[in-house]
Amino acid sequence: MGQRLTGAEILLESLLAEGVDTVFGYPGGSIITVYDKMYGYSDRLRHILVRHEQGAIHAAQGYARATSRPGVVIVTSGPGATNVITGVADAMVDSTPVIVITGQVGNAMLGTDAFQETDVVGMTGPIDKWTFQIRRPEDVAPAVAKAFHIASTGRPGPVVLDFTRDAQVGLADFEYRPCNHIRSYSLPAPADQAAIDAAAKLIDEAERPFVVFGQGVVLSHAEEQLKAFLKKGGIPAASTMLGLSALPSDFPYYVGMAGMHGNIASNMMTQQCDVLIAVGMRFSDRVTGNPFTYAPKAKVVHIDVDRTEIGKIIPVEVGILGDAAEVLGRLTERIRFSFHDEWAALARRYDRVEEERVAAPETAPAEGPVNMGEVVAKVAELSCRQAIIVTDVGQNQLMGARYSRFAQSRSFISSGGLGTMGFGLPAAIGAKIGVPDRQVCLFVGDGGIQMTIQEFGTIMQEGTAVKIVLLNNNWLGNVRQWQELFYGKRYSQTQMLNPDYSLIAKAYGIHYRCVEDRAELDDAIREMLDSKGAFLLDAHVRKEGMVYPMVPGGRRMDEILLNKDEWYHDGE
Amino acid sequence: MENSSMYIISVYSENQVGLLSSISNIFTRRGINIESLTVFPSEFPGIHHFTFRAITTERAAQQVVGFIEKKVEVVRAFYFPDNSTSAAEHGMIEEYLNNNRNQ
Repeated sequence: MGQRLTGAEILLESLLAEGVDTVFGYPGGSIITVYDKMYGYSDRLRHILVRHEQGAIHAAQGYARATSRPGVVIVTSGPGATNVITGVADAMVDSTPVIVITGQVGNAMLGTDAFQETDVVGMTGPIDKWTFQIRRPEDVAPAVAKAFHIASTGRPGPVVLDFTRDAQVGLADFEYRPCNHIRSYSLPAPADQAAIDAAAKLIDEAERPFVVFGQGVVLSHAEEQLKAFLKKGGIPAASTMLGLSALPSDFPYYVGMAGMHGNIASNMMTQQCDVLIAVGMRFSDRVTGNPFTYAPKAKVVHIDVDRTEIGKIIPVEVGILGDAAEVLGRLTERIRFSFHDEWAALARRYDRVEEERVAAPETAPAEGPVNMGEVVAKVAELSCRQAIIVTDVGQNQLMGARYSRFAQSRSFISSGGLGTMGFGLPAAIGAKIGVPDRQVCLFVGDGGIQMTIQEFGTIMQEGTAVKIVLLNNNWLGNVRQWQELFYGKRYSQTQMLNPDYSLIAKAYGIHYRCVEDRAELDDAIREMLDSKGAFLLDAHVRKEGMVYPMVPGGRRMDEILLNKDEWYHDGE
Repeated sequence: MENSSMYIISVYSENQVGLLSSISNIFTRRGINIESLTVFPSEFPGIHHFTFRAITTERAAQQVVGFIEKKVEVVRAFYFPDNSTSAAEHGMIEEYLNNNRNQ
């Protein structure tokens, strides 16, 4: 028999038992008992007080993505719970392990429209991996144990525990037993040998094999297995946006990012390959364009831990259900050593075109205003590729993805599937708190930063040394880009009148520097990277900046715009 | 376009508060109307059997079943054209439960 504790204490003890040392949250009426007990846990459990619950969950996501440990969020009922919903949906589609504990009114008041009561179970069920309402103190420890098991195994995802007041204040015996088995939830089994054999045969027979990998490689810690597989098969590989940094940017078989604003090489090679091996990715429409014209010559091998992903968008020749590290390890044993030098060398031809036509004009212009890509490339260069790059959503994200360079895994954090503006700043805070020894650089636009700018308060209170690069063009740049290209330059509601960011930074005690002139850029970035505390680099960038290359939505992946008037022609 | 016809979607699951609503949401999200629904305890202790009938395409039925199976409490889900029945279900559930006992 364990100790007799309140449900609130059992929650905190259970978190400690799971190895949690940091939680992100915001107190309120229905969770006040937990906060009361937390008062006595401040030596063991660090609570990061955010300024809005959305900030708590995005910070927990950033923390989880940087550390590979689940992020933990504690918020109150009603508006506290609804404010985290965007982050729950974001974590679901981006497979991020997050445990959200929402306070809830007392059992007798459920369903009565009590103050700050809302149907959390009903609202979060469709957008999370598991939801459970804890109504009794004796259910707290088993629910937390299940939550950690579910959030962090298989395809990871968010879990919501709706914690009623009765369960918080009631007493129960506490004894913590980690969960490693749920009757209706099976863990990834070893992959089917016949499927691996069939895939190995296709790969061995391929003349133009190609790999597109996603975040599954990172989540499964399969980076080394992927490298070994690519080396043995001599196979060029592209990354999805969330897969970035799983391979070092200079890895010999790596050809860049796939998708709408991906590298020419990866998209052109996708359309020409005869066997496409998809690893831990889900064929997002931002990767496939029109799925009916995607990789038209390829037999597709899809490796994923989530059965519903296999064949969901792109029909497969061979589907391999399993964990990426395990499958890649076994597949590498089965395939022959191969070389596809001529095929792989195509990437360099495409890269030369992209460098000359797109990248060089963006990152090294001779004159005119500072470009977004130029700032990103300088940060990559001056941080020696060592920083964790966090982005918000929009042009800052696409530039951050295109021109950052990585030396180690878990170095790129962005809102992929949901595309949540406002994600960047709190996610960067969470990443820095999770990995304080690494430099964390955020690329964010003037639109997105204002969606969660209140988290400057968290930075101030916690002394979080995030380096914020504001790519400031006074526009909602990505929507403006679409309006320019596809909506006849009718710039409907995309121009922003911005506040004086120097005063905002000053108010929160954050170092600030504004850059308008190219000549100052290097020095400003150095000052930012060298600064001990948080830093806001307000880069005034070209107003009409555009992200290229671009495959307009719903097109074939080889229909690539190099600029607003010119399509790419293969053979250039 | 694939033709729509009546499908039976058969779900074996732990019976937990909110589960019916989160399963039916999987239909709602895809705009599939549920024609009929029955829920009753199955022959397996603690496991309930949900039977949905809905007019949809085979591809959608297959995807709905996949997403239903992703729910943590769901043991297995199946789909059949309405003109067929399956005695195989029983055997598959039994086998699944036997294979996935607590080690």
